[in-house]
Amino acid sequence: MKITVKVDPDLCIGAASCVTIAPDTFALNDENKAWVLDHGEEPGGSTYERVLEVTEDEKDNIILAAQSCPTLAVFIYDESGEQIYPEM
Amino acid sequence: MSQRYVIVGGGIAGWSAAEQIRLGDPDAQITLFSEEHHRLYSRVLLPHIIKEKVPRERVFLKSETWVEEQNIEWLSGVGVISIDTKNQFVAAENGREYEYDKLLVVTGGNANTRPEQLRGMMYLQTLDDADHIMQLLKEADSSSIQAAVLGGGFIAMEFINIFHHFNIPQTIYLRGERFFSRCLDEESSAIIESRLSDENIPVYKNVDVEMLGENGNLTLIRSNGNEVETQLLGIGIGLDLNTHVLQDSGINVDDGIHVNARLQTNMPNVYAAGDVASYFDIYAGRNRRVGNWMNAQMQGRFVGKQMVKGTKEEFALVSSYATNVLGLEIIAIGDTDCGYADAVESIGSKKEGGKTQLFMKDGKLIGATLVNRNSDRAKLTNMIKSQEQKSVDEIKKELS
Repeated sequence: MKITVKVDPDLCIGAASCVTIAPDTFALNDENKAWVLDHGEEPGGSTYERVLEVTEDEKDNIILAAQSCPTLAVFIYDESGEQIYPEM
Repeated sequence: MSQRYVIVGGGIAGWSAAEQIRLGDPDAQITLFSEEHHRLYSRVLLPHIIKEKVPRERVFLKSETWVEEQNIEWLSGVGVISIDTKNQFVAAENGREYEYDKLLVVTGGNANTRPEQLRGMMYLQTLDDADHIMQLLKEADSSSIQAAVLGGGFIAMEFINIFHHFNIPQTIYLRGERFFSRCLDEESSAIIESRLSDENIPVYKNVDVEMLGENGNLTLIRSNGNEVETQLLGIGIGLDLNTHVLQDSGINVDDGIHVNARLQTNMPNVYAAGDVASYFDIYAGRNRRVGNWMNAQMQGRFVGKQMVKGTKEEFALVSSYATNVLGLEIIAIGDTDCGYADAVESIGSKKEGGKTQLFMKDGKLIGATLVNRNSDRAKLTNMIKSQEQKSVDEIKKELS
């Protein structure tokens, strides 16, 4: 399935919870904000938002990473564009 | 018969543990004591809310119906008075006793306070504190207001950013020689001081302060002979651990509640986690306390699983703190106690605009502090995690 993962750099404080839980999806940049990776890679360069093809387990782990963010800076959307996390 | 789990403490560690216990044991009876009335919220978001980056409602991390849906008995506003580890029950403020099969103590701590009680003095630990700060900022006459910050750690940085955000002139008072005096050296602290100096924010060091007021309002701060008119004071002077409930319980308390790497105390069926726990950190090779959100959350999750399944797995996390002051990033990774390290080595300098300190123990890297050198973070975290023997030269080479 496809999901969109987005980090709001204005909210991100570099707590690194997402990086700890899902290191293949998040990595801190030099500004101490989390870039979004595609399975450890950065096709097309560094970005705060990406559409990812993920398995159910990968999706669960990315949601867990988002839930761990203490500033709720990670947003996840499903294929139809509906926000999965944070729950509205 | 279903297992009875009692959790004493309503912060992120307690709620995370409750969630994991429910996942692992659908029939468990779970009781969660929380001294605060609010359901789980993010303390880390409080500065964002004060600065109006996000609306206040966003602070809550669980819905109002979550505890019902999860069938968790949430006793909000109810503290625990004592723990009887022999007969396995806790006595609560509501006059009742609650028996447990497994007990988790996640009582955290309270922000240290000053003896003076004047309007304008602010702390920043709870949502109620944040509401108080927002009220004071709203009422302040922005044309003439003067602020101050007492302390040189993470909470102090938040206050500095908040006052700066609202364009309120401020003075900083350090009780010691430097910022983050437990882990940063003079030069690292000087980089922070230099950033403050750029914004014309004076820093007074080694001060004993006295707050003076009129009609219950803060008006003046006196320190070592200086007097500065001040109406708002942000105070961040450390944490007082909530361990009083453990008196006579037989549970070992030293620097915090002493637990092993599985977060078990010395008493059967009793666990501790989060800020209050002095846990065995496998990377540092010793017991230590870590007081930050990620650690509390990960320990809460770990201990919830551990309480249900009782595995031999050990808690393994290279925890880190990150903050910034006026855009300058300050990061501490792993064990950064210079009293414990065999050697503390430096990379960079004030002149170069950033400095990293490496904390070495038994030939391994166990911790690091980074001031304005964010790019070292991932590599250093991985080096600590790898627990490989490495010389300082090798580390420097890998970073360059």
